[in-house]
Amino acid sequence: MKASDIIRRAGRNLRQAKIRTLLTALAISVGAFTITLALAAGTGGKQYTDSLIKNNGDARSLSVFAKSQKSEDSGPQKYGATDAAVSQGYLGDSDISKIKTVSGVESVTPMYNISAAYMFGPNGEKYQTLLSIKVDQTGVNLAAGSLTNNQPAKGTVIVSESYVKPLGYASDKEAIGKSITLHIDKSSIAGLPAAGKDMTFTIAAVDKKSDTTLDYQDGIRVSPQDGQDIYDYQTPVDAANQYYGVTVRVAKNADPKTVQASIKDKGYEVFSLQDVQQVLFTFVNVVMGGAAGFGALAIIASIFGIINTQYISVLERTQQIGLMKALGARRRDIGRLFRYEAAWVGFLGGLIGTLLALLVGLLNPWITDKLNLEPGTKLLVFNPVYSIVLILALMLVAVVAGYFPARKASKLDPIEALRTE
Amino acid sequence: MIEVHHITKTYGKKSNVFTALDDVNFEIPDGASVAILGKSGSGKSTLMHAMSGLDRPQQGEVMIDGENILKLKQKAVDTFRATKMSFIFQSFFVQGNETCYDNVSLPLEIAGVPRRARKARVVHALEAVELGSKIKSKAKDLSGGQKQRLAIARAIVNQPKILFADEPTGNLDSTTGDVIEKLLFNYNKKNGTTLIIVTHDPDLADKCDIKIAIKDGKIEEITDAKKTRPTHSAMTKTRTLGRVQ
Repeated sequence: MKASDIIRRAGRNLRQAKIRTLLTALAISVGAFTITLALAAGTGGKQYTDSLIKNNGDARSLSVFAKSQKSEDSGPQKYGATDAAVSQGYLGDSDISKIKTVSGVESVTPMYNISAAYMFGPNGEKYQTLLSIKVDQTGVNLAAGSLTNNQPAKGTVIVSESYVKPLGYASDKEAIGKSITLHIDKSSIAGLPAAGKDMTFTIAAVDKKSDTTLDYQDGIRVSPQDGQDIYDYQTPVDAANQYYGVTVRVAKNADPKTVQASIKDKGYEVFSLQDVQQVLFTFVNVVMGGAAGFGALAIIASIFGIINTQYISVLERTQQIGLMKALGARRRDIGRLFRYEAAWVGFLGGLIGTLLALLVGLLNPWITDKLNLEPGTKLLVFNPVYSIVLILALMLVAVVAGYFPARKASKLDPIEALRTE
Repeated sequence: MIEVHHITKTYGKKSNVFTALDDVNFEIPDGASVAILGKSGSGKSTLMHAMSGLDRPQQGEVMIDGENILKLKQKAVDTFRATKMSFIFQSFFVQGNETCYDNVSLPLEIAGVPRRARKARVVHALEAVELGSKIKSKAKDLSGGQKQRLAIARAIVNQPKILFADEPTGNLDSTTGDVIEKLLFNYNKKNGTTLIIVTHDPDLADKCDIKIAIKDGKIEEITDAKKTRPTHSAMTKTRTLGRVQ
């Protein structure tokens, strides 16, 4: 018998037992549904995590700090036990040049600590502000204006949206290209006579908090070059060139992980975004694996349903099997007929489950709304490849489950079968 | 030519042995119509099963055109049945949920005939039994006589050399039965297909060329209507052998 003929006969036989076929398929579809949703949530979760990371950091940027203690022993060391004092936790110029020698390091920027006494715009009103340097190329959620590599150019700044109106501009757009003045104190040490100067910058961009930004503070962000100028002006000479950390940019052709490891080997504390990403991905994977595991259990349970259905089917169709054998059908043909029927059931179950899961996917906007996520975020992302693989796998599972019933059918004695009335 | 030599079939073991066929011998020329006549339990169905390769007797051989089908591998026997034999059963065994077309198409599918080549043959077979108008009807909607005609269409669609009919009129009233008998004998005469009817009905058996009466697994008598005296040497020999046992 030709495979195409057997497949059509198998489909027709199933149609003649519609309810039974549908019920068996529905049992499988529960598992397919669960697994599809778990995979969709996993894919969506990873995409969401990815965008979360991109908005909060730059994968090519490593934060390097001094090790707070010299030894790796746990607990505090006794006073006077060693000559070396506990490290102050500062990095100096020697550290910077040391880190620069590590291969794969593109640039090293100290984390300068800078501040401004106040800021004012065209209306002359003075406001307090938080001043920071945009060292990395972490994404910026722009309200207006534009940036190259997510960094302001020298002489320009990024201003928070909430500053725009107080500074005297009508809208975010209007502020772009206009000026903002910062008053920088000479020394921030209390008690000393405060000398200072005004520095005027052009507003390159206005930014605002996005839902995927984990920490956002209103403030002004300057370019690394301007940051260094402010630092040099502001910091007393004796405290100069001491930084609590540096930011390392990893070259494009280098692997951030390798660079991180080699800097660590030099005796520094290194943090990267990938550490965070890893943790988040692990979390997503655990959740996805758990849900998919339940789906797999459901499929295992449905296997017994398939076996049962197929056995009943064989009993019911003893006469048909006998006739086919009398007409010269081979044992192999009969076995295939029943295995293909099982495959059809598996296919149907997989299809129903996948379609139901896709229906749940229509709830994406509602989920996004309920969880207060960025509009347009999709937590359930369906991958057609996963669905096809899942359906094929279910067909295979069904065929394996149908093995014993199919064997029983193929072994039926045609004489006995035709005697059955 | 079908030659049956020394067929013996037993069921059960040792003390419980039941001999269904006991050293049966006969020959059937091509194109003959043959009745295997016997009461229920006489072994006539077992004989048919043995001749068609459905059953394997412990001893003896069934030579069809010089080939012992009992020595063939299962696969070869299946192919033999798919291409050269057909069956008609007392209780029709048509698939009620399938259309007449699909019922008749089954033997061709089993024989591996391509889909395109099937259609004309199926339609032709259905027309031969005057069911041309029922091609798309479900078999369960047919009357008893129509069902048996459908079974005949299914049996003749692959143009068999041998057509086995197991009590073909057993479940039918006499009028409908006559129609079926006519169909079978006409087909036998027209196409030269060997027709082997298994029956307990002596009237039906009388209409056949050769009558093989069987009782308790042994051949009781072989009557050849075409020969007034059974003088044919081979025939005499087999008859004698049948009686000796």
